[in-house]
This record gives sequence, structure tokens and C-alpha cells, in this order.
Amino acid sequence: MEQLLNLWHNTGIYQIAPGQAFMIAIGMLLLYLAIKKNFEPLLLVPIGFGAVLANIPGAGLAEPGGILYLFYTVGIESGAFPLIIFMGVGAMTDFGPLLSNPRTLFLGAAAQFGIFATLLGAVLLSTFGIFDFSLADAAAIGIIGGADGPTSIYVASKLAPDLLGAIAVASYSYMALVPLIQPPIMRALTTESERKIKMVQQRHVSHREKIVFPLVLLLLVAFLLPDAAPLLGMFCFGNLMKECAVVDRLSNTTQNSLINTVTIFLGLSVGSKLRAEEFLDLTTLGILILGMVAFSIGTASGVIMAKLMNKMSKTQLNPLIGSAGVSAVPMASRVSNKLGLESDPHNFLLMHAMGPNVAGVIGSAVAAGVLINYVAG
Amino acid sequence: MESSSLLNEGVTLMIFGVSFVFVFLTLLVIATSLMSWIITKYEKNVGLLPEDGIPAPTAVISSPKHGNKSQTHSDDSSLITILSAAVHKYRSRNKK
Repeated sequence: MEQLLNLWHNTGIYQIAPGQAFMIAIGMLLLYLAIKKNFEPLLLVPIGFGAVLANIPGAGLAEPGGILYLFYTVGIESGAFPLIIFMGVGAMTDFGPLLSNPRTLFLGAAAQFGIFATLLGAVLLSTFGIFDFSLADAAAIGIIGGADGPTSIYVASKLAPDLLGAIAVASYSYMALVPLIQPPIMRALTTESERKIKMVQQRHVSHREKIVFPLVLLLLVAFLLPDAAPLLGMFCFGNLMKECAVVDRLSNTTQNSLINTVTIFLGLSVGSKLRAEEFLDLTTLGILILGMVAFSIGTASGVIMAKLMNKMSKTQLNPLIGSAGVSAVPMASRVSNKLGLESDPHNFLLMHAMGPNVAGVIGSAVAAGVLINYVAG
Repeated sequence: MESSSLLNEGVTLMIFGVSFVFVFLTLLVIATSLMSWIITKYEKNVGLLPEDGIPAPTAVISSPKHGNKSQTHSDDSSLITILSAAVHKYRSRNKK
């Protein structure tokens, strides 16, 4: 009889707390969104499943000694996974559109304004006593506005590990929601005639330029902002492997098998942070809202910057590509392209938008470096 | 008192951060343009790197065209074929 009772006490039904049940439901919701609605499935499937695993009562998968905890310590706490992903992203990035029109880097810079505006917002909320964010927390929340998953995770793991789950979920879900969040903002800030602007044909970028560019970027980072060197260093390394064309085997591994392997473990580790005890908190809601604000401000400032540049220069930019300055490659570019086609069915902006888009990746990594430098250093 | 110093820090970080990102990317624009300019100049003398390594020589070399109107483009491509054939021959000979 006692053994039976013991068995009963060990079942999930006996042990489950309402919070855990709720978080398992959230995990299932993430799986539903990924599988049925196709929202960033590559990440949301592992994250959602990790969330379910982490909340199984009594199993302790996400507690010290558990396998998810192990993944988290090895990969995220050390900062390794986001950096390896960044290397893969570098190996998949083509800097051609950026090199043919370097001015678009400014759009990538402008879109990072969202990061800092949100940081200020989070600080203001703490000042009014609504939330209790430290400067480091505020910085980690702001980086969601960079719309760059690995960068957000990297910064959060350095500055605010306890908020990592919410920040990662916010940044990946907003990346998936780019096609819903951005268009209204872009339409509101541009006129019909601005949306019809045709851009100059891009010049051909030679192979040598593409090889030298990651090295130029790397040197600039090395001289000016060593704190961004982990992120941008890996990024440049991946890109150089791709462009130099003599290590195709390495470059293929980086952009395929390696990044896929790491994505699986990264997703599970992030999911392990969605434990009821840590996630079910009013702060999470605050982070989700602030993240959305960050993202919207980033989009808006990119568009406004494009309009400003049109005022100052003769070669016109279509302001729609400004919104692509938030990273979210290549989703943000596709959105720019789609809105451009709505106004003029012959105006293809996709390649033009890729310039600010990859500039956004560089910009958010630079912003991350600045934040880490200021807060931690 | 403590909260206002947090606010101050936030504002400082915002101004510092935004300006740093802009300065950095401005320098990157300058460095990139300079790099492109130098490389374009250099390539005028040396020629472009072919897109995917050195192309293998093709068996049929297009016969020279006599109509001079569209000379540049087609002549360039046959010139590249000839040159790459030469490079290939040179390289395979030097391997030994």
C-alpha cells in the first residue's frame, strides 16, 4: 500500500503546479504557431518543446543536473551558441548589395535607435516604480529592437541572464511577426509618391571587394570597439570563409550542418528558461510590450532616416527600404519589397533592401558591443 | 535619489550609444568606399577575379567577330576564355 502511495506521489498529476500546467500550455502554443502557422519553425519547435520539457513536474530537466540545464550552461551561459550561430549567419550573408551602395549603412544605424529608445523606456518605467529593471536589464530588453535573435541572446546572457527566456521569446516572436508589425508603420510614414521612387540600378561588386570587406570591418571593430569583437569577429570569419571560395567545405558546414546542430541546442536551452518559476511574472509581460515598442521605433526611425537622406542627397532612396534596417534578414527586405510592389508593380526593392538589412545586422552587433561595454565594463 | 541616477545613466547611455553606432557606421561607410575605390582602380590594371574560381577552358573558342559594333562585350568574353585557358595550362605545367 505504501509503495502504491509512493508511486502516486511521484506522478506528474500529483506534483503539477498550476504554473507548470500553464507553461506546458504555452509550450504547446509555441509548437502550434511553429507547425501550423509557420512562425519561425526552426526556432519555435525546439523552444516550444524545450518549454514543455522544462516544466514536467518532478523531472527537473531544467534544474541543476538536468540535461537542459547542461545545454544551457555549456552553450548559452558561456556565450558560445549565439556566437556560432553568428558565424553561420555570416557565412550566409552576401554583402554585395551593401557594398554597391554603402550609404545604406546609415539606415542600419538609424534603425538601432529603437534599441536605445526602449532602453530609456525601461529605465523610465523603473523610475516610476512600475517595474524594477536595473540598467543592465534595460539594456538587454532594448536589444530586442535590433530584431536579431542571436545578438539578443548574447547580450541577455551577459547582462541579464534571469530575463533571458522572455527576451529570447520576445525577439524571435517579433522576428516572425515582422510582416504584420512593419507595414502599418511604413505606410503611415510614407506618401504614395515616395513609395513609388525607383532606385538606381546597383553597380556590380567585384569578388575582391567582397573578400576584403569582412577584413575591413574586422579591423574597424578591433580598433574601435573590442566589445563587439566576439559577435562581429565570428560574423566576419563566417563571411570570409564564404567569399574567399578556397574553403568551400568549411563554409558549407558552417552554413548548414553546424548552424543546424547549434540551433537545436540553442532552442532547447532557451526553452529551458521558460520555467514557470522564472517566466510567469509581470516582468515578462513588460518585456514583451517593451520589445514590441523597440521594434516599432526601430522600423520608424529607419524610414525617417531614409527620408532625411533623400533631403540631403540627389540620388533618391525609396524610404520603404529604411525599415529593413532592423536586422531580421531576409524577412524585413521581403516586407519592403512587397510594399513597393503594392504601389508600383514594376518596382522591385528586394535587392536594394538587402543593403540596409545586412547593415542592420552590423548595426545591432555594434549596439550590443556598446551596451556590454557601458554596462558591464 | 537612486531612481534619478538610474534615469541619468539611461539618458547618458542612450546618447552615447546612438552616437557611437553612427560614428562607427560612418567610419565603415568611409572605409568601405575607400576600399571599393582602391580595388576598382587596381582591377582596372589587373582584371577581375572570375566569379567561381578560374573557369575551365572550353573546347570551342568562339571565332572572332568582324562586325565592330558590339565588339566590347563578346570580345571580352572570348578574351577571358583564352586567358583562362592560358592560366590553366600554365598552372598545370607548374605543378610538376
